[in-house]
Amino acid sequence: MPISEKGYAHWQGTFIDRKLAWWPITRLAVRLAFKKKGFKFAFFGSLIPAFFYLAGIYISERLEDFQFMMRGSNRFLEVNPAYFRTYFTGDFLLFMMVIIMVIGGAGLIADDLKYNALQLYFARPLHKKDYFLGKVFTIFFFLMFLTLVPGLIFIIMKLIFAGSLKFLATYPWLPFSVVLYSLVLTLFFSFYTLLVSSLSKNRRYVSILLILIYIFSDVFFGIFYGIFHNPYFALISVKGNLQQVGAALFKVKAPFDVPWLYSFLILLAICILSGFVLKKKARGVEVIK
Amino acid sequence: MNIELKGIRFNYGKITALDGVDIQLAEGACGLLGPNGAGKSTLLRVLLGFLRPDRGQGRVLGYDIRQEQFLIRRSVGYMPEGDCLIPGMDAVTFTAYFGELSGMPRQEAMKRAHDVLFYVGLGESRYRLLETYSAGMKQRLKLAQAIVHDPKLLFLDEPTSNLDPQGRNEILELIKDISSKKDIQVLISSHILTDIEYTCSYVVILNKGKVAAQGAISALKEIQYSLYELKAKGETDRLVRKLEEEGCRVEETEDQLLKVYMPANLDRKEIFRLADQEQVQIRYFIKSQTSLEDLFAQTVGVD
Repeated sequence: MPISEKGYAHWQGTFIDRKLAWWPITRLAVRLAFKKKGFKFAFFGSLIPAFFYLAGIYISERLEDFQFMMRGSNRFLEVNPAYFRTYFTGDFLLFMMVIIMVIGGAGLIADDLKYNALQLYFARPLHKKDYFLGKVFTIFFFLMFLTLVPGLIFIIMKLIFAGSLKFLATYPWLPFSVVLYSLVLTLFFSFYTLLVSSLSKNRRYVSILLILIYIFSDVFFGIFYGIFHNPYFALISVKGNLQQVGAALFKVKAPFDVPWLYSFLILLAICILSGFVLKKKARGVEVIK
Repeated sequence: MNIELKGIRFNYGKITALDGVDIQLAEGACGLLGPNGAGKSTLLRVLLGFLRPDRGQGRVLGYDIRQEQFLIRRSVGYMPEGDCLIPGMDAVTFTAYFGELSGMPRQEAMKRAHDVLFYVGLGESRYRLLETYSAGMKQRLKLAQAIVHDPKLLFLDEPTSNLDPQGRNEILELIKDISSKKDIQVLISSHILTDIEYTCSYVVILNKGKVAAQGAISALKEIQYSLYELKAKGETDRLVRKLEEEGCRVEETEDQLLKVYMPANLDRKEIFRLADQEQVQIRYFIKSQTSLEDLFAQTVGVD
């Protein structure tokens, strides 16, 4: 029977021990995300604010040349920690991060659950932690491009445009704040996305849930704050908590009169809960049905 | 020995899934049979190192099932029962990806993916999206990802489920080809006894977590029992009762044919002696060809 168009041959190569066993998972997931409809548009669209902020940094160093445009709005172009905070905690950027998670991250675990791919993964010499790290670093890749990369470029360009290290001498801690807050945002969104993605086999439900939780937590904060005028309701808002922590890390006034540590603890609790659920989910996986 | 298990016991809480399983398998294709809940899946999980047995020792390809699960998983291929895929991928990327996850260098995994996809008959459609594959193609794809890293041992879980007769034959031919000519041992867990009989020379029958029978199929059929078919006139119920008391298993077909599974230690003359004793006339008597189905029914005690 002509079942084989080409005969079977044994493989003569040798196996390699990858130190980063998760890397093929991340590489593939990033590749597949870029194949998704609308992802490139959303991803590169999310970088638009970064270009505006970069232009702002340039203009701030050439104020005399752009005086005709300023008309008293110079204060907005003062490049200081608040400038960075505004970029990192801006509504647009945070929302676009959620959109990127929806298109590129919602199916990370949900699809594997739906199409029974987990049993193929775990029949390989692969730890559960490698599997999850592969998924987490996929989100890291996207979000670091929107946070850490622009943040560091802003600092470098500021120094180049200014032609001196004065900015760095004034705010020597700023690069650390950029790194730290990028990590906070990325880690939080990674855990948040994987948590929601592991709760359902249906990518659409996951997508809807990712957006609803983000938007409605903020809507409910607005409603409760409007009724009770208590700033502590900011703690129920995902966006509010991220902005509080951002303000603290960039050493500027917090948007709400609530200790930033509370917000940080809430974000941390969500990450821990997510880690716990993921661990339990992986343990509950029926690798062989 | 490629698979060597000694006194393996595994409990899910209070339920004993495997109870003192001893298995020794060398080369060739082996069928793993058993009714639902017999412990087949648990045994595969133990062999792949997903479950740690409560008691007993075991080695797969010389690797300890308790300590060296990773080395086992690198050297074995596993083809799961249900559909498994990653949406948005083509077959080459999919197969190469799992080769890479098995520890193959990336470029070699890609080259090898092409080879195995041609081998399983997906050469022409290797760049198609997996979502567009038919059930038969998905089955071949699962086989491709299981053999991409050239395993020494292949676990196949219900490899012909959900296939039409032609697809089933083709998969069986592939399995037979792999197990007979490629130095790869194959362990097939299946409910379809004819598939096992066609592809395997050796069988392990599990029942209630224990090994009910194991050995070469041809030898087991001889050793375990002889099957006789007879037609009788008279009080056959009493004859059946007497035969059962002697340890035979008797089935009556719709056309009053009695199928007597006789243990190896009994002589067929015993049937005539009991018939004479019960004053039953035997009008038709033949030693029947036994099938794996008969062996399974006899061993497990189900029809």
